[in-house]
Amino acid sequence: MAEIGDRYNTKCPGVKRLMREALELAEATEEYCARPLEDNLFEWHFTVQGPKGTDFEGGIYHGRILLPKEYPMHPPHIILLTPNGRFEVNKKICLSISGHHPETWQPSWSIRTALLALIAFMPTPAEGTIGSLDYSPAERKILARKSRSWVCSQCGEISSLLSSTAAKPPTEEEQSVLNQIAFKGEEEQANKSQPPVEPVQQIQRPVLESTEPDASLLDQLTEIIVVLLIGAIAIFFYRRYNAFYNINQTEI
Amino acid sequence: MADDASSSSSYAGNLGDNSINQDELIMKQQREIEKEISESIPLVGDLEPLSSLEQEYTEDPVYLLKVKDLFSKYKYIRRTRPDGNCFFRAFSYAYLEYLLTDKTEYEKFYEIAKTSKDTLVALGFSQFTVEDFYETFMEVLQRVGEESGGTLEALEAARAELHDKFNKQGHSDYIVVYLRLITSGQLQTQQEFYQNFIEGSRTVTEFCRQEVEPMYKESDHIHIIALSNALNVGVRVKYMDRGEGSQVIAHDFPEGKTPLVHLLYRPGHYDILYT
Repeated sequence: MAEIGDRYNTKCPGVKRLMREALELAEATEEYCARPLEDNLFEWHFTVQGPKGTDFEGGIYHGRILLPKEYPMHPPHIILLTPNGRFEVNKKICLSISGHHPETWQPSWSIRTALLALIAFMPTPAEGTIGSLDYSPAERKILARKSRSWVCSQCGEISSLLSSTAAKPPTEEEQSVLNQIAFKGEEEQANKSQPPVEPVQQIQRPVLESTEPDASLLDQLTEIIVVLLIGAIAIFFYRRYNAFYNINQTEI
Repeated sequence: MADDASSSSSYAGNLGDNSINQDELIMKQQREIEKEISESIPLVGDLEPLSSLEQEYTEDPVYLLKVKDLFSKYKYIRRTRPDGNCFFRAFSYAYLEYLLTDKTEYEKFYEIAKTSKDTLVALGFSQFTVEDFYETFMEVLQRVGEESGGTLEALEAARAELHDKFNKQGHSDYIVVYLRLITSGQLQTQQEFYQNFIEGSRTVTEFCRQEVEPMYKESDHIHIIALSNALNVGVRVKYMDRGEGSQVIAHDFPEGKTPLVHLLYRPGHYDILYT
């Protein structure tokens, strides 16, 4: 860290903040680890453990964190490098509060918040949002197994980067944030105006076929359910009517 | 006002039927507008005579009458950048500037500021990020304390230093973030009371997460009530709008407290007023 301190203006709050975060995240945990590149405080590499009890269990996923010069006023961008079946690789994704404008990032969140949120968000449905993939559970499990042998050209074998120390559990505030957060790919336009991200490693397209969400199939399913519901209601009314009619009959 | 622009979605109509990414397009446009604004208006401007306000409304009899009313009580105005943070920026600038001239008030405020961090950590905010903002805020405050009550010359230099800090995006925004956190802390610790001010079905915490803590979110009455109560600082806001009458209505927060900060509100924006 000493050299980085020499190279940047530590009076600048953003730099001071990132150096603090580097210290805070210096020790790897079981769930995540992250550190700045040696020559650039504004680009970090991270590794996260796939959440237990999901298709990603056992998987280890590596990626880049790009910090805007306005950090922490503006959110970090996350780019996954390890094929995972949930997010496209080599594509910027940003976090936001779900259902709200993506620009609801809060300066009191940190890289740790972003990583915890990423882990929590992995098992959620892709729902066709930009940057999301909707691979089948089987495909994701295969990718999870394969991910353990993935190698980053800068960090080496990623499976050795995490430790066995459990991370600090999320605070109450963090937890309430995690429940609301969503990740989304960046808009196409913004991507064009920014310098293209140079791929750190040639990523092979997974041999598996991707199962894109089939909208027409979904529509058909909804239709069937609606028809069934209407039928059920009709039968219900018919029976009630019959019962009512019978009572009237007996009274007479 | 430009603040209005950042919260308006009226641009959607111009975008045709491209529904795929309309939200993103609106945001892109907003960012461009924001950039334009930030390039043309300083975060906190120089002191200007109130007559500069008159010039803005030469063709507007309603506002001219109201400016005339302002003249009876105020001499100067200091404009702030309409970036959604203007209330917090104007408030902190005006108050710190005042503290330069009142050491007793400074001592009192210092104690309140010192313990403010603990409330936030107790509420579950991440300690090290809160500390990050707290430290920058306290640094600026302590500099004010060192110069407070000094000679006229020293005060002039101290004012220039404060002005400089408030126009450095990094420092200036850090102060805004910290005040936003204090506001959020106040709202959350007094939930039962503030819940009544929140329209719709949002909880106080949700409101804080969406309307208080994020940068660039405009301030409403509730923000001002919470912040002025949390810091025990009197604020008078003069509301200048198209309403009837020739008088500019004033509101004091908290009610009954002597105002040390005077702000001018025009729909969507706050500037600082000086007597």
